[in-house]
Parts: sequence; structure tokens; C-alpha cells
Amino acid sequence: MIPVDIVASVTLVYFGLLLAVAFYADRRHQQGRSITDNANIYALSLAVYCTSWTFYGSVGRAATNGIDFITIYLGPTLMAFTWWFLLRKMVRISKEQNIGSIADFISSRYGKSAWLAALVTLFAVLGIMPYIALQLKAVARTFDLLSDPLVGTTTSIHYLPIAHFKFDTAFAAAALLSLFGILFGARHLTSSERHSGLVAAIALESLVKIVAFVAAGLFITYGMFDGFGDIFRAFMTQFPERADLLVIGPGNDGYSHWFTLTFISMMAVMFLPRQFHIMVVENCQEEHIRRAMWAFPAYMFLINLFVIPIALAGLLMFSGDTHNADFFILTLPLNNGDYWLAMLVFLGGFSASAGMVMISAVALSTMILNHLLVPVILKLQTGDKDLSTLLLNLKRACIVVVTFLGYFYFRLLGESAALVNIGLISFVAASQFAPAAIGGLYWRRASFKGAAAGLVAGFVTWFYTLLVPSFIETGWLSRSIIDQGLFGMAILKPTALFGLTNFDVWSHALFWTMFLNIAAFITGSLLSRPGRAEREQIVKFVDVYEKRDEKIQRRRMTKAPTVMEFVNMMTKFIGEKQAHQAISRYLGDKEIDAKGSLSEEELVKLKRFAELTLASSVGAAPARIIIDNYLSARGSRMESVFDVFGSVNISRNASREQLSVLYDAAHAVASGGSLQKILDEILKIFTDQFKFDLCVIRLLDADKQTLTVRSQRGMSSEHFGESERNLTMDTYIGETFLTNKPTIINDTENIDKRESARIIHEHNISSFAHAPIAVEGETIGVLSAFSRTAKGVFTEEFVELFTSLAGQVGVAWRNAQQTERLITLREHQREMEIAKNIQLGLLPKVVPEVPGVELAGICVPAQEVGGDYYDYLSHPNERLDLVIADVSGHNVGAALLMAETRTFIQSRSIHLGSPENILKAINQFFYDDLTQAELFITMFYLQYQADTRRATFASAGHSPPILWRPAADSVQQLDAEGLIIGVRKEYPFEQIEIDLQPGDCLLLYTDGVIEAESEKGEFFGEERLIELVKSTSDQSPQQIIDEIFDQVRLFTGQHNFRDDVSLVVMKIAE
Amino acid sequence: MRAPGNRPLREAWMIFFFLGIVMLNYPFLHIFNKNVLVFGIPLILVYLLVGWPLSILVVYIFSLYLGRGSDGEPPPAEDSGEESQ
Repeated sequence: MIPVDIVASVTLVYFGLLLAVAFYADRRHQQGRSITDNANIYALSLAVYCTSWTFYGSVGRAATNGIDFITIYLGPTLMAFTWWFLLRKMVRISKEQNIGSIADFISSRYGKSAWLAALVTLFAVLGIMPYIALQLKAVARTFDLLSDPLVGTTTSIHYLPIAHFKFDTAFAAAALLSLFGILFGARHLTSSERHSGLVAAIALESLVKIVAFVAAGLFITYGMFDGFGDIFRAFMTQFPERADLLVIGPGNDGYSHWFTLTFISMMAVMFLPRQFHIMVVENCQEEHIRRAMWAFPAYMFLINLFVIPIALAGLLMFSGDTHNADFFILTLPLNNGDYWLAMLVFLGGFSASAGMVMISAVALSTMILNHLLVPVILKLQTGDKDLSTLLLNLKRACIVVVTFLGYFYFRLLGESAALVNIGLISFVAASQFAPAAIGGLYWRRASFKGAAAGLVAGFVTWFYTLLVPSFIETGWLSRSIIDQGLFGMAILKPTALFGLTNFDVWSHALFWTMFLNIAAFITGSLLSRPGRAEREQIVKFVDVYEKRDEKIQRRRMTKAPTVMEFVNMMTKFIGEKQAHQAISRYLGDKEIDAKGSLSEEELVKLKRFAELTLASSVGAAPARIIIDNYLSARGSRMESVFDVFGSVNISRNASREQLSVLYDAAHAVASGGSLQKILDEILKIFTDQFKFDLCVIRLLDADKQTLTVRSQRGMSSEHFGESERNLTMDTYIGETFLTNKPTIINDTENIDKRESARIIHEHNISSFAHAPIAVEGETIGVLSAFSRTAKGVFTEEFVELFTSLAGQVGVAWRNAQQTERLITLREHQREMEIAKNIQLGLLPKVVPEVPGVELAGICVPAQEVGGDYYDYLSHPNERLDLVIADVSGHNVGAALLMAETRTFIQSRSIHLGSPENILKAINQFFYDDLTQAELFITMFYLQYQADTRRATFASAGHSPPILWRPAADSVQQLDAEGLIIGVRKEYPFEQIEIDLQPGDCLLLYTDGVIEAESEKGEFFGEERLIELVKSTSDQSPQQIIDEIFDQVRLFTGQHNFRDDVSLVVMKIAE
Repeated sequence: MRAPGNRPLREAWMIFFFLGIVMLNYPFLHIFNKNVLVFGIPLILVYLLVGWPLSILVVYIFSLYLGRGSDGEPPPAEDSGEESQ
């Protein structure tokens, strides 16, 4: 025997290993790198089918009943044949419908009936809880065998010397296992019942099981004996009377018994709650089924290979004593002194029990919570309290309760017959689910009433033919029921119902339960019709593989739309007038009857035209959707496969509401508000209709090259909603942006980008989608929607809607861009206009009266604002000042500078006296401003004393004015040395004086005149100007000016000038 | 998603399934249920313990063909499945 503390500590260490593995697997799963998403792990996890009943019970059964134990494993092997079709279909449906348990599965098929779910749950609990007791019993017994229990107790109480405390093995096991269940099956309340840690632990346990069993088998067969042949020979020699252990039972009994066991194990491997859970709910990829199909049978074969040798060896070693036959695999090595092997075997058996208890507890508690407790809670519920913590704790409580109920069952019944047969009884119970489940998958007529009837009939019969006899064996019920039948009616004998005698109890039970179950199921289904909700589910179950658009075809009508109907549709969006105009333009010269139908070809063209017309007001993407939907709603032959509003599963009202989302969004875009308002409005429309937890519009910030949040709805102060996103393929949003393709994640259990996984799981997102926002093929942002509660929202049809909405956002953005550009342009124009007005305001409005002088002046600005300025200032004492200037810049700044100059001159010219001083002063005053603005001014200043006819002038780099003296017949250019203003702060300007004669004609001008270009590229030049002055000198100054202008215009061939043209003419009167 | 398997594959499947059921029951069992020893091991046991791995082999071969037959392309490369797809 092994000391208690060693056994206990090894067990605890092993349990700790399981915990560690489970934690690790859960952690990896959260990071998005799940280790359980692996075909081998999946296949191993299925081996939870081999509980301690396999580990110990098979040997026991082989030693007492012979080889029929093998049927329990042959059945599943046979069943595995069908998995690629049957199991895969179940997995596909369960993933799509987000099914979490077998009760869910069955009730979902029959119209999501809560009653059916409760029924299934009840039956499952009834059938499985005793099975848990069996496992705990195995742990307790084997522990006892390894290290004797306390003397004087019969119930596996041990004493741990180190800790000085007594413990009940079964109780301890129950406690540990329920703890494990809580840690890894009820950490949070997720809508997917995926428990990566649990699966990993189960897989490890399966590994330990097979290693332990095979090791023990090899050791016993080849260590203690000389191989298979040796054992059989020895057995035959020693126990020839038991040779019938090695054949199938006599006569018909044997074969029907064989068939029964095979059949129920085929059903059990599929429909036991723990099997369903681990095969369907925990399945990560359908592909894994392909490996499991052969790997799982191979596992079972290997683990069963040594059962018979061990059984026979046990019989041999213990002289045919079978009272502890179950545990031969443990007692044989123990007896032989191989304690480590025995320890290994114990751990193997422990794994077998642990696996079953953990998964069953979790699966059952899920069902109890969801289908028994929640409906009650909801009925009692007052107000919107947050239920999630309550539910989570309830689930944990259920796990504990279920496990401990098993414990109490074991304590109560101990060695009773009831417990021993419980394995097979559970299998028959599981078989009752088969007609409803399999029928539901393949038979369209299967209805709720049929399923309910079948289940009830099956379970009642099961109870009566199996449980009742076992209660009788225990002594709870009177034997007379078996002998004489219920109420003395022989026909109701539990083991010979309706006179079916000579069948072993299992075959008898199987026959009646299946018969009544299936009969009630078929009859019930034929007599009732599936309800509306059920009909939708039927399609989702039976036709899960069919393409959706086949359903759409059935909805179509065959009448094609008329032109008028197109007009009516367009009217909704662009108004009646425009719609009619558009149609008239299109129809033009075509001979089409507006009320009649159109030919196929015409229809196509008209469709395209209507799309284009609408696109101008709502955008291309919405226009296409609207047209296609309009047509498909009318049943046109032309609709393409894509139908935004979905399959027959969505009711008509719903699709209209969804269509309205796009309508409203299109209107918002066309509303002409600010971009921010439109974005917010679009999100509001979207979230009002579809209750997403968060929607975000992110647009590209060109400078930072990141996606920044422009509008969001949902989570208020969450960092998550506000933060920027980089453009990288490592995140889903980055990938969406960079590849211009939408990303849909319907179940965040299955994402693999680590960065995204981290964020997603941090915020408990269940599903999300990103759609690229593109303008003219280029992505400018991403539209995202997130849900914390729902999975599988993003169906193909919904994604089309979502992408169209993103298109709308793109349209809104483009409109805003264009508007911005328009505004900038207009502002620029405005500025130019202001400058021009300023400039024109500077020019003198009135020509001063100076005796003996005739004056005229004009400034014709070029296209853009000019920089010319001239002025005549008349001072007292018959003094007249003429000034003409040209500034280098052509903007508001230059214009303002000129205004300032004018003011300066007008106020200071009197005091400054001479032109030279004036220019000097101007130069000094304006130097800083001019330098800062990088502008220059050319100026010419002339002072004329009318009484003396003396003119004094100075120039700052200006074109020298022309003086024509007809009396002397000479032309003079008044040139004075001077640098243009703004170059050097201090500068002496040359001042020149001349005397004018009556008849003299003086012309001041700016560059624009002489630089006027003809079409041949010739400049007007000073020569021509001089000639012109000469020839027109006898006219009035105004006429001279007009003449010059005419000539220049003639010269250039244009009315407008490239640069400003300013002219001032002064004539000395005769 | 299309329905799994192509027609011939599905039919072969069904045949093997029913064959399996038949071979696992009376009368086939009866044929082997004799008191004959093969290498010291009873015949029925040999029948079962040899037939079982044989049928697993059949399933294995089928699983290979599944990848080829229904998709029209060879089964995907065995990835260890460490990273979820």
C-alpha cells in the first residue's frame, strides 16, 4: 500500500498541473493564439467519452459479462463514419445560431421553444447526475485501494497525518472538480460557451488516460505474462467453464443485446450533454472533424486493446474472484508491488472521472441556468437591474450543486444496483434525444409538437422500463411491480411491457423507448404544422448548406417596371420636375410608350440612366442600391444576386426599416450641413436602427498618417472609442484601410491579429466589422461597428448595407471637400475685390482748378488688382503737385500701402516743400514697411508753380514723363536720378527745375502703357508714346488720354491690359 | 457554403456505413462466433480486433478523399493549428 500523503500529494500535484495547463490555454485563447484550435487537441478532447466506466468498468464487465463491452466503442466508431455529414451539419448550424448546449439545439430547431429546452434540460439532469456519482465513486474506491481507508469506516474516509485531518475522498474530489469547473467554465458569462482552458485540460487528461492504460496493459500482458496468447491459454486451462466469456451470449438474446448496446452507444456519443458540448460547442473549425473521424476511433481501439487480457489476467491472479473485477487494472500492479505503475493507473482513472465530471457539470449548469432558471428570473424581474453578476454566480452555484448532488447520490446509494447500471441507463436516456435531433436536421415536417411528444413518450417509457426496475432492485419499490405489473396489470410489467418477453432488460427498454418516441414524434409532426417562427428555423437547420439567393427567386414576380414607375421612384429623390426633365431628356427621340413595358434592352439602359441621375443627388452607391432594391421589390427579372435586405428569414417590415436607413442617410448627406453634422447624423440613423454598442467613423489625417476619430456613437468616455489608429496590416482596421476591403468578424473568439485581439478582449467585444470609406476608389477612412452582446450579426446582406453606408460617408466627405475648395476660392476673389476697391478709392475724383493749367488723369486697372496711383494736389499760392506711383505687389497689402502713401503725401507735402524732400521723407517713412512686405514703389513727383511757370521734380526709379514743347518743337524726358523707394533707407534724390512755356504738354505715365504687347510680341514703347503726344498735343488733356488709350488698344488688339495703365496729362494754357 | 461531398463519395459513404452495421451484427457475428482459436485467441475476438482497425483505416482513407473530392483540391497542408486562422 502507498501512504495516504503520497497518494494525496501526487493527486494534488496532478490537479495543479491540470490547472496550470488550463490557465495557459485560456491565456493563449485570449491573446488570439489559441492552442486548442488544433485538430489533434479536438480529437483528444472527444475522448472524454471514455470515463472511469471505460477505464475500470470495461475490465469489470469483460470479466463478468464477456466481450459485449466492446460494443460501447464499436458503436461510436461506426458513428464516426457519419460525422463528416451529420456532425458537421450540427456544428455548422450551432455556430450560425450560436447554440450552447443540446437543449439549445433541440429547442432552437423547433421554434426556439423555451418549454422544449426546459424539458430537455430536465431529462438531461435526470439522466446524467447519477453518472457523476459513478465517477466520484470510482475515485473514492481506487483511492481506497491504493492506500487503505481509516479502519472502522466503510466510506472511504482517510486521514492525512501531516495535516491532521480526515477527509472523505469523494467529497474532496467533488470539491476539487467543481472548483475546476467554476474556474474554467464559469469565469465570465460569455454568449459563446467556448472554454479553451477546459478543453485543454480534457485533452491532457485523455493523453494521461491512454498512456496509463496502455502502460498497464503492456506491463500486465508482457510483464506478468508472456503475451496475449499466453494469457488466453492460461485462462482456458484454468477456467474452461468461463469460456463463454469469450463469445457472444447464447442464442438470440446475445445478438439483440449486442445490437442494443451498439445502438445506444452510437446515440450516446452524439447526444450525451457532455459529448454534444465538446464535439459541437467547443469545436473551433469544421476541418478538425476530418481528423477526429478516424483519430477518435483509433484512440478507443488502443485503449480497449488490453481490456480483455487484463480482465483475464485478473481472473487468473485472483482465482476467479470477480467482486473487485472493476479494479483489476489497479490491483494487479499493486499486488505485484509495482507501486508507481499503480499510481499512474490511479491518475489515469482520476483523469477519466475528472474529465467527465468537469464537462458534465459545466454543460448541465449551462442548461439549468439558461433554460430553467433564467425564464423564472425574467418573470420575477422588476426593473433593469444588471443581471449578469447574478447569472454568473447562479451558474457557478449550479456547477457546485450538480457535482455535489452526484456526491450525495453516491453516498446514498453506495453499492446499490442502481448505481452500477447507471452508465447504460444514461446511454438509453441520451438516445431519446436522437429522433428529435436527427429528425429535426433532415425532416422538414418535424414540428414542435412532434418533438415534445416524442421526448415525453421516450422519457416516460425510459423511466418506467429502466429506472423503476433499478429502484426495485434497490428495494425502494415493491417487487410486485415487476412480477405482476403496475396495478397488477400484467401488460404493464416494466421488463415485459405489452407482453414483450424474453428480451434482456436493455433491449427491451431500447425497443419500447425508441418505438414510442419515434411514433409519437412522427404522429405529432404529421398532425401539426410548424409555426411561423419554426419555419424560419427549419430552413436554418435543414437547409443550412443551401445558397440563400435561391430563396429570393421564389419571391419574384414577373412583371417588368414601366417608365412611369421609374419616374415615380426618381421623384422621391430629385423632385418631380427634375425627374420629368431627366426622363424627357432620356426618352428624347425614342419611341417608347411611357405607360407600357420596356424591352429587356431598354430596361437595362433606363436602369443605368436612372442610376446616373440619382447618383448626382444621393451618391453612386446609394443610387445603385435604391435602383436594385426598387427593381427586386417589384420582382424584376434583372436583379443581381445581391439583395441587401436579405433572405426570406427577415420579415418584410424589417427590410423596409433597413431600407429607410439608407434613405435617411442619403438625405442627410444631401442636406448640406457641416461635415461633422452629417457624420453624426449618419451614425445616429445607423445606431437607432441597429443597436450596436459602438459605431465609429475614422478618417485619415493626412499629416499624421493615422486614422483619427471624427464621429462616434456608443461608448462615452472609453479610451477605446476615442483613440487613433495607425495604418498597419497588424490591426483589422488598418488592414481594411490599406486593402480597401471590408473586414467582418462575427465571433471574436476566432481572431488572430494579436494587437486587435488584445483591444477587443479588453473591451469584451463579441463581434465587429470595418468597412472602408472610399472616394473615387481611394480610401479616406473606415466605418466601424462593434457589438458586445451579439455574434453573427454581420450576415452577407447586412454587410452590403454597411458598406453602402460607408459609401455615403465618402460622398459626404467629398461634398465637404468641394465646398471647402469653393469657399477658399471665393474668399480669394473677395480679397481681390476689396483690394481693387481700395485702390480705386485712392484716385482723385475731382480735377483741381489751377489757372493756366489743364489737367486730366486716368487709371485703368488690369484684370487683377493693380498697384498704380496718381494724384494732383493743389496748394495755396498757385502751387500744383503732381504725383504718379506704381507699387510692385498686386494684393490688399500693396493697396493699403498705397493708401498710406497717399495719406502721407496729402498731409505732409505742404510742410516738406520740395519734391526731393518729399521723396526722401517717403523713402524713410516707408522703408521698414516696404522691406517687411517685400514691396517696392516707383514714384515721380512734380511741383509746378503756376505764376512762375516753374516745375520742380524728382523721381524714384519711375518711367520718365514726356514733355512736348511745340514752341521749340522738342521732346524732353524728365529724368531725375533716384533709387526706387524701399531699397535704401537714406537716399538723396536728385531734384531738377525747368521752366514751362504755354502750349507745353506733359504726360506722366506708368509702365503699363509702354509695356503693352501686341500680338506679334512687340511692345508699345516710348517712341510711339512720344509720337502720340506730339500728334495730339493740340487737343484737350482728356482727349489726349482717350486718344492714347484708343491707340494702345488698337496696338494690342485687346480691350484689357496686362498691367495697370495710368496717365496724367498737364497742358500749360496758351 | 455548398453541401459537403460529391455524389459518388456520399454514396460510397452510405454503403460503407451500412456495411459496417451489418458486419457488426447477427448473422455476421454468428459466423465468427465459434469456439475456434487463432494463435490462441478466440476467433470472434480476432474478427473484432482486426476488423476494428480495418474500419478505422477505411475512415482514414475516406477523410483523405474528402479533402480531394469535395473541394476539388488536395487536402490542405497539415498545420499544427497553433495559430487560429
